[in-house]
Amino acid sequence: MASIIDIKDECALHVRDFEFTYKGALAPSLKKVTMPIAKHSITALIGPSGCGKTTLLRSFNRMHDLYPGNTYAGEIEFEGRNILTPKEDLIHLRTKIGMIFQKPTAFPMSIFDNVAYGMRLQGIKNKTELNDRVEKALKDAAIWKEVSDRLKQDANGLSGGQQQRLCIARAIAVEPEVLLFDEPTSALDPISTQGIEKLVIELKERVSIIIVTHNMQQAARVSDYTGFMYLGELIELGQTEELFVTPKEKLTQEYITGKFG
Amino acid sequence: MTAVQKRIFINKLALIFSTLSAIIALAFLFWILGVLVMKGMSALNWNIFIYEGAPPGYMESGLKHALVGQLILVGLATGIGVPLGILAGTYLSEYGKNSRLAHTIRDISDIMMSAPSIVIGAFVYAVIVMPMGHFSAWAGAIALAIIMIPIILRTTDDMLQLVPGTLREAAFALGAPKYKVIKDVVYRGAKAGILTGVLLGIARVGGETAPLLFTSFNDNFFTTDLNAAMPSLTVTIFNYAISPYEDWQQLGWAAAFILSMFILGLNILGRVILFAGKRK
Amino acid sequence: MIDKIFFNLTRFSALLILVIVAWIFVVLFNHSLEAMRTFGLDFITQDEWAPNLDKFGAYAAILGSVISTTLAMLLAVPIAIGVAIFLSEIAHDKVKSFFGISVELLAAIPSVIYGMWGLFYFVPILRDIFGGMGIGLLAAGIVLAIMILPFMAAVTRDAMNTTPDILKESAYALGGTQWDVIKDVIIPYAKAGIIGSLILALGRAIGETMAVTFVMGNVHHVPGSILDPTTSIPVTLANEFTEADSSLYFSSLFGLALTLLVMSFVVIAIAKFYFLRKARRA
Ligand SMILES: Nc1ncnc2c1ncn2[C@@H]1O[C@H](COP(=O)(O)OP(=O)(O)OP(=O)(O)O)[C@@H](O)[C@H]1O
Ligand SMILES: [Mg+2]
Repeated sequence: MASIIDIKDECALHVRDFEFTYKGALAPSLKKVTMPIAKHSITALIGPSGCGKTTLLRSFNRMHDLYPGNTYAGEIEFEGRNILTPKEDLIHLRTKIGMIFQKPTAFPMSIFDNVAYGMRLQGIKNKTELNDRVEKALKDAAIWKEVSDRLKQDANGLSGGQQQRLCIARAIAVEPEVLLFDEPTSALDPISTQGIEKLVIELKERVSIIIVTHNMQQAARVSDYTGFMYLGELIELGQTEELFVTPKEKLTQEYITGKFG
Repeated sequence: MTAVQKRIFINKLALIFSTLSAIIALAFLFWILGVLVMKGMSALNWNIFIYEGAPPGYMESGLKHALVGQLILVGLATGIGVPLGILAGTYLSEYGKNSRLAHTIRDISDIMMSAPSIVIGAFVYAVIVMPMGHFSAWAGAIALAIIMIPIILRTTDDMLQLVPGTLREAAFALGAPKYKVIKDVVYRGAKAGILTGVLLGIARVGGETAPLLFTSFNDNFFTTDLNAAMPSLTVTIFNYAISPYEDWQQLGWAAAFILSMFILGLNILGRVILFAGKRK
Repeated sequence: MIDKIFFNLTRFSALLILVIVAWIFVVLFNHSLEAMRTFGLDFITQDEWAPNLDKFGAYAAILGSVISTTLAMLLAVPIAIGVAIFLSEIAHDKVKSFFGISVELLAAIPSVIYGMWGLFYFVPILRDIFGGMGIGLLAAGIVLAIMILPFMAAVTRDAMNTTPDILKESAYALGGTQWDVIKDVIIPYAKAGIIGSLILALGRAIGETMAVTFVMGNVHHVPGSILDPTTSIPVTLANEFTEADSSLYFSSLFGLALTLLVMSFVVIAIAKFYFLRKARRA
């Protein structure tokens, strides 16, 4: 059936027999997904619209819990424990597993406060520490040069691409282990897209990355592993090159050659 | 306590406060509704619909005068306000569109919607009651109509704008003149919405007391003379409630109950129509 | 031909709104001229209201309007915001729709009934607690607060609901609690809309007559405390309009009506054209 690569290195996350059903839905949106996510590498999720990419991604930081009534089964292992248990500390989990959304989501506050937000939530009040870490995060997100002279200005004055990098800075400022990206460039122009892609590749030295994308070229450009999903199932997970050049599953083959989707 | 624990604690407090607010609001709601229903139901009887007002202490006293007066007043107001409101809304949506004038009218009408209704009463008193020299049903109905027009105007404008432009174009393409397009296509498309607006408008003015106090005034007896003071449920509630007589107060509660049911019914009907219209 | 007539008919109706509004201002202004000429600024700074002496100072009524609405706002705003938060962020769907229906119910109750309830059920409680008559600014403020609460909560909730889910989720994704998201994201994002909604409710409260007429007392003097009976502009109008027996008396009442209209117009215009428009643009 599904062809899932066995990852030899350490895994950042390990999904096992995961099932997810939205509130009121008749059928599960994810069916028996088993998927290792390699540490310090980039895993791309591709597949036709509605196949469950976003649903899977939002399971890693338990975003679905914001909307009562959704049900899940199976397990997702992170740092040696199953994070799907009711006793999981979601606040802690979400500081360890950050997320970047489809559209830039700058908060209605200054650029500085945006980046400092997560740190402040953790109780960091020390001015110099905040200043240093904000600067570092902005530098790591390759946006420091553009905003260093206007940190006090409203973040909504930035361009879409800048805002998206600001959101990345905000996410990495709290030093997470994993970063989840849901089509982070779908609302951006080609130049900004390039910038984000470059940034994502740089980031993998420090964090493990999962990126959902509709763009197969993008998956091929940035990722080390690629998972192909179809109708709520993970059909194939392999090294990116292999998956695109010599897919093991017929469905994968058909999808990447553009037969459907 | 770590910073995170503190945040979790504050979060709990905030959620408790917010839930408490909701409970307080609901408690008042049920208190008021409960009083209204209990007092109103216990004061209801057939005499209310058979007899008109009587001096305190009389067994044979009822609210027939006020019920009929209320219907007349609201009916007249509807007859005046609805056509004007719909026509004005039609102008905004179909002719004025985004012109400066149209926007000014929308803005002014929007403010009028929340203007103090007692001031409308004072205005009508000055331009109708004073020159005529006496209170009248007409004056009351006109005051209510002035309150109604902005509501109808707004819903008509909104609802007509929801009718897709392609529908109009299709009708124009068949060579229909504009008024026919509006009448046959636009009005038809927005029927449910406009009807809802009308019902909500009627419900809104149906509960108004202040603009009637010195226009249609009040009367304790049955009348259908539009040129004389006319009783209404709302003003009757006011007069009976502040009277020192137990039996008048009882009648006041009965009137309050009947009026609330009437207005609630209109509200529900309006929403049902809108809902049914949307589903189609 | 018919086309032209129809067009003119609609335009006439639309222009009629402007005419009526302008006419209202002109009529109220003309009728209050006599009082303005006679009393000048004293009309709004003096509190002696003595129809038998033909002396009319509206200070007490204006003050009563300002204080009763301020009290109502102080009581209603925190609760309305709490209710709005409850409805938009905490309540489950069933509770939400139950509450939605309840709010409609409350909105359907004519304001005269709030007043009646206040007089018969709430004033006695105040009397038991604080002594005195029970009627006065406090009673008026509370009844007014209860009356505007549903409207206020509903519009505030609507304003809060304009915050995009994805923005809220971003704050949750950084480890925020519900309250963090509310205070750092939702309230700043929807600020203009929330303030606009609250001010709009204030605009309605100023002109509300029947809910307060029962419980204010209609006594023309500046109260020593919020427990003393006093009056407000709408209360004075409701009680005295049909009793006025001199032209100066009438003129003074029209002066009150004009003052009330201007107050509410200004407040509503600020809410709609500054805050709510800004909110819509954002
Ligand atoms: N909130 C929801 N409630 C119910 N069903 C949902 C919800 N969100 C998504 N679904 C369903 O779950 C399935 C997976 O959706 P998901 O958003 O994960 O797809 P996706 O692969 O991310 O698609 P896209 O590429 O369009 O973003 C779809 O069939 C969708 O209709
Ligand atoms: Mg998606």
